[in-house]
Amino acid sequence: MSWIRVCAAAEVPANTAKKFWVAGGIPMLIVNYGSGFRAMPPVCPHMEEPLEDSGVVANCILTCTKHLWAWNLQTLEMQGETERPLQVYEVKQEGGDVFARVDKEILYDFEKDDDMDDDAFFNKS
Amino acid sequence: MPARNHAQWTATPPLKGDEWIDSRIYSDQAVFDDELERIFKKVWVPVCHESELSKPYDFRTFSIANEPILVTRGPDNQVRAFLNVCPHRGMLIERRPSGSFLEGQPSGNPKRITCMFHAWQFDLKGNCVYVAREKEGYQDRLCKEDVGLRRLRCEVKFGGFVWVTLDDNPAVGLEDWAGKPFECLRKTLEAEPMEVFHYHKAIIETNYKLWHDTNSEFYHDFMHYHNRVTGFNDAYFARKNESFEHGHVVVGTFEVNYQNYEGFESRAGLSFPHLPPNQWYMIDLFPGFNFNLRGSALRCDIVTPLGPNKVMIEFRGLGLKRDTPEERQTRINHHNSIWGPFGRNLHEDLIGVTGQGTTMRPGTEPRRVLHGRQENQTIHDENGMRHYYDEWGRWMNRLPNDPEQPWAARAEAQPAVAAAE
Repeated sequence: MSWIRVCAAAEVPANTAKKFWVAGGIPMLIVNYGSGFRAMPPVCPHMEEPLEDSGVVANCILTCTKHLWAWNLQTLEMQGETERPLQVYEVKQEGGDVFARVDKEILYDFEKDDDMDDDAFFNKS
Repeated sequence: MPARNHAQWTATPPLKGDEWIDSRIYSDQAVFDDELERIFKKVWVPVCHESELSKPYDFRTFSIANEPILVTRGPDNQVRAFLNVCPHRGMLIERRPSGSFLEGQPSGNPKRITCMFHAWQFDLKGNCVYVAREKEGYQDRLCKEDVGLRRLRCEVKFGGFVWVTLDDNPAVGLEDWAGKPFECLRKTLEAEPMEVFHYHKAIIETNYKLWHDTNSEFYHDFMHYHNRVTGFNDAYFARKNESFEHGHVVVGTFEVNYQNYEGFESRAGLSFPHLPPNQWYMIDLFPGFNFNLRGSALRCDIVTPLGPNKVMIEFRGLGLKRDTPEERQTRINHHNSIWGPFGRNLHEDLIGVTGQGTTMRPGTEPRRVLHGRQENQTIHDENGMRHYYDEWGRWMNRLPNDPEQPWAARAEAQPAVAAAE
């Protein structure tokens, strides 16, 4: 895979975010922060909140309103208490369209895996 | 027998000490409190069937001995149980009876168990993954790792039922607890996945043990016209009540003649795997759970005692997961025509125990309740109840026929024949 057309630039007005499906099943959020676009997985890296609903874009900052994690969309710097970086797809505009470069789907790792045997678990002090 | 005066009415019956009980075991608050503490907090309880948590993130809530419990299926497909209690301020975390954590809620994140009170969040393994404004309030004194959920022992077994115990170190494992009584149906129940197709519950004013008694004795067939016309024959009366360790009882099978009842049909076409047609098995597990297979449908009763004179009974009907829509509909008809809320039998059983509950309300005079039928342990013998109360007395350290007395007083409290007043 490489550059894929995601949408027309006009479909995502300034300071909004919209979710699209590309490459036969990869969900992608396109965010227009006024002076440019970002393409990213459509969930907050904190707790998988759907950023299309929970995200607010203002002054170049994307904020997830659930727990106030936020990122500068130009520099991708984490803001305030944010603990994980936003992962993004490379993006470009050509003509009136937005393209993203997709080599593979970006997935955040949410689940810890530290299972132990039941008897060990229920007997630890 | 002529009518009796008060002294005669309350006299010890002319039976052995284990052939009757004192009704205070059904009506006394202190006995009830002991039962929750000594029995229900210690045993394995079947709480639901895995088909009711068919997808990752599905959950159900319920309670054992007043403790609120949450059962969920994790993204790894494992079913786990937790106390449904927030470790922060003791809030009930999940208020719905069932649902899914997959989608977000107004006060909850997707794929998380969220306490709406202060937004603390947990994953499906019980890890705390979010404490609102953690550093501001707790600095480094308390962190997420300190405040995980209370997990409970939970196993899926005996045909996909979900079993939970509040005891981290139960006296016996689940296999040793119920494996032997389930042996008669194990091959049948584990042949292929089953599915719950019917659920209803009844909250009635009676003691939970009276419901289990009814499930354990078939002498009350006289209340069930349906049973009499479809079943009373030599094979019927030859069935045995078999006692198992830990207070469990199994009633053996026979072939039911459904054609004897107008409007009823043979169950042979939809028999459960590995069973001859129209069989009827019953497994009664201490202290109040019942598995009843009638040819084409499995019924499961789970009691949740709510007070000395109040019990919630949940009724489930199960078929095979692979049923075609037509097969499923037939199974549902078979199930409901006997055991549905408007079926032939179930409401009659409920009338029976509600009537008992009415005469044994807290504060009523202690009565003698008899279960002394001895018929070579066949179907109208009451050895199932005697076996149950023997187990009950040990767990409770109380005599069933004199609940103020400890179990150790048993020998002295068992006169062979009553002294007449």
